This record gives sequence, structure tokens and C-alpha cells, in this order.
Amino acid sequence: MIARKYFIITALWAGLFVHAQNKQLLYDFTEVPQALMINPGMETDFSWYAGIPALSGISFQAGSSGISVNDIFADDGLDINDKVRDRAIYGMSIQDELSGTYQVEIFNGGFRGKDPSVFYSFGLYNEGDAIGYWFRDYAILGYEGNADRLNQRFDLSHLKTRGEMLNVFHFGVNKKVSSDLILGARGKIYSSIFDFNSVNNDGYFVTTEGENNVYASTLNADLELRTSGVNAIDHALDDDNVPATIIKRGLFGGNLGLGVDLGFTYYLNPQTVVTGSLLDLGFIYHANDVENFSLQGEATIEGMEIILPDALSDPNQDFWQNLVDDVEGFIPFEKETTGYLTFRPTKLYGSIRYNFGEPMQGSAQCDCDYRTSGKGPNAVKYRNSIGGQLYVINRPRGPQSAITAFYQRRFGNFMAMKATYTADKFTFTNIGLGASIQVGPVNFYLMADNLLAYRNIADSNYTSFQFGLNIISWGKK
Amino acid sequence: MKRIGTYLWVVFATLLIVSCVEEQDFNQYDDLSVTPTYEASVLYLEVPERSINQLTGTNVYSRDFNFDAFSEDVFSKRVIEGVLTYEVENTTSKPLEVEIRFLDEAGTVLDTEQFVLGPEPTAVLINETYYGPYGEDINIIKNTSSIFVTATNLGDTSSTSSQENPMVTLKSSAKFKVRIKE
Repeated sequence: MIARKYFIITALWAGLFVHAQNKQLLYDFTEVPQALMINPGMETDFSWYAGIPALSGISFQAGSSGISVNDIFADDGLDINDKVRDRAIYGMSIQDELSGTYQVEIFNGGFRGKDPSVFYSFGLYNEGDAIGYWFRDYAILGYEGNADRLNQRFDLSHLKTRGEMLNVFHFGVNKKVSSDLILGARGKIYSSIFDFNSVNNDGYFVTTEGENNVYASTLNADLELRTSGVNAIDHALDDDNVPATIIKRGLFGGNLGLGVDLGFTYYLNPQTVVTGSLLDLGFIYHANDVENFSLQGEATIEGMEIILPDALSDPNQDFWQNLVDDVEGFIPFEKETTGYLTFRPTKLYGSIRYNFGEPMQGSAQCDCDYRTSGKGPNAVKYRNSIGGQLYVINRPRGPQSAITAFYQRRFGNFMAMKATYTADKFTFTNIGLGASIQVGPVNFYLMADNLLAYRNIADSNYTSFQFGLNIISWGKK
Repeated sequence: MKRIGTYLWVVFATLLIVSCVEEQDFNQYDDLSVTPTYEASVLYLEVPERSINQLTGTNVYSRDFNFDAFSEDVFSKRVIEGVLTYEVENTTSKPLEVEIRFLDEAGTVLDTEQFVLGPEPTAVLINETYYGPYGEDINIIKNTSSIFVTATNLGDTSSTSSQENPMVTLKSSAKFKVRIKE
């Protein structure tokens, strides 16, 4: 029971507060191998790398675009009922979301092929991703009720949520096509552990003046919740074997899908680079342990109606039960197990970077300098980079975007740092800082953003961090 | 160059060190009260004059209805207070009495509403009965399992009203506040 309690709390928390992470600090951070995961066409100069299992890449992000903990629980002397009503119930719009994501690399590695222009990478990571938009009319109906709201329609389409946990097996190829262009692609096999989504809802509830009686209550519903794997997790909670169930379903024992990442890096001139990537262009077909629930139809009731002389025809009829049966007949609640298809939240990154300052030799071996690139990986790096990035993710209420300005500084081959300013729907004051440190073959990176919010974390609408540990080799010098 | 690196590290470390959380009072949750008010129609009774005239005796209609809406746990365990509103209209030519009794599962009468209506023309009779701290005992509502309705003809069975489509109607609605969170 304790395990169930914690799992449910964690799942709810993940579902409500956790969103697909914009990794603006990691993007095109070429010193860190994990940057290949968000642009398979990134410039690479490693001979090989190996992530420390389970520690090579851990990232977490949480965001709420409409409200913060501080808005409700600040010790400010205000009545919590006023704060909830003004800041949550009526203060948030249906575009506001509570969302997030986490990602843990289980293993990750990469090596350069016989052709030095080709770099391969592979691995397995576990990911959880969920989003819930503010269900405003449901909240008003639950918090204040329908009294004295004649003719006000409560919009049932406000319920829009999805979430999943999955393992991703991947293999990527990165090729330096010419001295100016690097292309990359990564194939993915998704092994879904569980999934839930309720995104195509419609309908309304309204109270109007009745034709016969005082009020008519009308429910027009087209609601659907699709799940896969949730039932298995529920049974695992009963049997106290959640880890085994998650591992089994994550290793092809659940539902499977395919996807691809694409990316490129292109040098406009020796100092100006544009990059782009399209991630998780893929799908999962859910056929195993599927449970779908729907509520579809329309009914209008005006209470129990006894109209003579018809009511006298059957002296034993149960008017109340007839009413209940009618409603259930008009709006049946159904459960079925038909498979369904989900598309992964596709992400798009793009950037333009201008390198300046003193050019320096990278860690990799090559017959190159800042004017002439060799046959191997591009190894000439400038001390400074400045540029802008774009991030777009496909979400149930349409694409969400973020723009980032960044400055990157390299300190020899020992350390590189990147500072970012990002504006998105969560905040316009998101300043982030990331660092990669190379000590011999050991690489450690740490990145965190929305640092200004650390003045009062409870007032933050957004927080994220990522870190990892790798062993990197550039080959013999 | 080293100075810049040191400086950046200092900034990073400082931000982490000075990070703080303003005082939060999570005990406020205990003060959060969620008490929505819902309203809907309850019962509609319609007896045309021609039906009354077809009957012999004074008993126009008498019936015990199963009515579980109030006694369902989801409602009965949460209801705090509310009001039942009745609108009774008689456009027939005879005086009538309409009585509603609220009964518990054992058939015990918990409450009675009585409406005596003169012959047409009459105004719509509206009656509101409050339940809760400032009205009748809310347990009447919580324990109601069935409703007994009686309509009695206090006049003759031959006269005809001058009104179009003469009948006696009873409309009723409920408006109750429920406690979702203490």
C-alpha cells in the first residue's frame, strides 16, 4: 500500500508538474557527447566515448506556466481561498500547463568508424513525459458549482492531458559530408512502459430553464481516455513488483514504436555555423494491456417527471431508475481494448552561431588548422561563440516555442561554459549556465537554468537541470 | 582567461548558494474550503383536469416514488445546506391539495410539504424550504429514500375550467451546497 501511495503520488506529480525539456544549454555544446542526442548532425571530434552507466545523462525539468507554489502558499496573510479562486480557478487560462519531463541514460556510447568522417553513437535511455493543461471549466464546476449560472456552458474540451514512460533504444550515424556540412540521423525503437492520453475531448454541461420543470440539465459529452500499461502497473502495485514490471515492459515487453532524429551542421563561413535538428519523429502502436474509456452522447433531464394519465399506465414503474437508465442509455460509459497509435512529441531545434576570438586546436588529431580542415573531425575551435537558438515542440494544444540567446566560452581543452537567456511561455527571465570540464579522459558536465528563480524557488514557474559523466578519447596525438 | 573562468564559477556557485525559498505556509491547506453549490430540477407532476374528472372519489393521485438522489453517499455525506423550491399552479375548476412526504428507507415520514390550491384563476404558489443550520434539519434530506406524492380533489368531478389546457402542476428544484474539502 505504501508503494502504491508513493507511486501514485509520483505519477500524479510527474503528470502535473513535469514537460518535454528544452535543452537549450546542451544543444550544440560540442564538448559534451550527450549533445549528439539533440542534434545527431552535431560537429564531433571524439575518437570514442563511453557514458558512465546510469550517470552519463540525467536531466529533469518542471514547469507551470500559470501559477507557482508561492502564489498559493506564500505566508502573506491573505486568505488561501481568495488566492485559489483568484490565481488558480479564474487566474489560469486553458493554455496554461503543468508539465515536465525527465530522462535517464542507462548506457550511452560512441565510436568513430574506419572512415574518420563517420561517427556512430548508440544507447538506451528511460524517459517520462507528461503534460496537463488547466481544466478551467471543470475546476469552476468543482469549486463553485452550477448554481446561479443559468445558460453558462461548462466546456468539457478543457480536459487535455497526456503522459508516458518509455525506454528508447537508439543508434545514430554522424557524417562529415564535406568541410562545411555534417549530417546525422538516429534511428529509435520505443518500448512503451505505460501511456495515457485524453486529448480529443469535446462537449459541455449546461443548466437552462426547463420546458416543464424549473431547470433542464444537459450533458453533451464526447470524452475519451486511452491507456496502455496502466493496468499492468496497477496490478504490479498490488503484487508489489513494480520495478520488475517496469523493466519487463521497458525491454520490449510492452508496446513498441519506431522513430528517427535528423540533424545537420553547416558552416556558412569558417566562423558562422547554422545547425538544426528534428527529434522524435515517430510513433508507438499500443496493442498490449490497452484499456480505453469513453463517455459519448447527450441527455437532458428535468428531474423525475410524472405526467398523468401516462404515469398511471404502469403502477409499478420506478421513475427514478428509469431516469438513471435513460441517462446511462443516452450517454453510455464504455470500456474497450482496441489498440491505438500515438505520435511522440516531436521537437525542432535550430541555431546560428558566430565563433570569434583566438582559434585553437581541438583535442582531436587532424592535419588541420583554423584555415584548413583535415579529413578527420573538425577540430579547430574558437574561444568564443555567440548566437541564437530556436526550440519548438508539438503539444496537444499546438506547438510551443522558445527562443534563446547564448554565449559560449572555451578555456583551452579543459573547460567550456555556456550562458543562455531564454524566453518561453513559462518565463521571460530564464538565464541558464552550463559547464563541461575535461580532466584527462573524464568529462563532467552540469547545467541548470532559470537561475534567477533561485532567489525564491517557490515562486519559480520553471526549473531544470542536467548533468552527466563520460569517458572521452580523442585518439592518440 | 583563468580569471574569467574563475569569475563564471563564482557566479554559478553564488547563484546556487544564495538560492533560497521565501517562507511558505503549507498549513494554509487546512483552511482551504471547497463548497460548491449545485442546482437541478427534482420532481415534476402534471395532472390534467380531464384526468381528474375521469376519476371517482377524491384521490386524484397517490404514489410512493423511489428517489435515491439525496441518499447517494456522494451527496448525503457531503451536503451542508440548501433549499427545495416548489412552484405549484392550478388552472382547473376545482380546489385541490397536493402533499409531498419525504420518507426514509424504513418508510418513516421525515417531512411533509402541503399545498392547498383554490380553483382557477390562481396565482403560482411558490414555496421555499431551507435545510441546514438556519432551516429544517439537513438529515431530512440526507435520509430521504423515497417521496410520497398525493393529490386530492377538494371539489367536484364534473366542472370544466375556462382556462386553456387546464391542469395542476408541481415543479420543484433543489439547490444544495456540498463540502468537497473541509
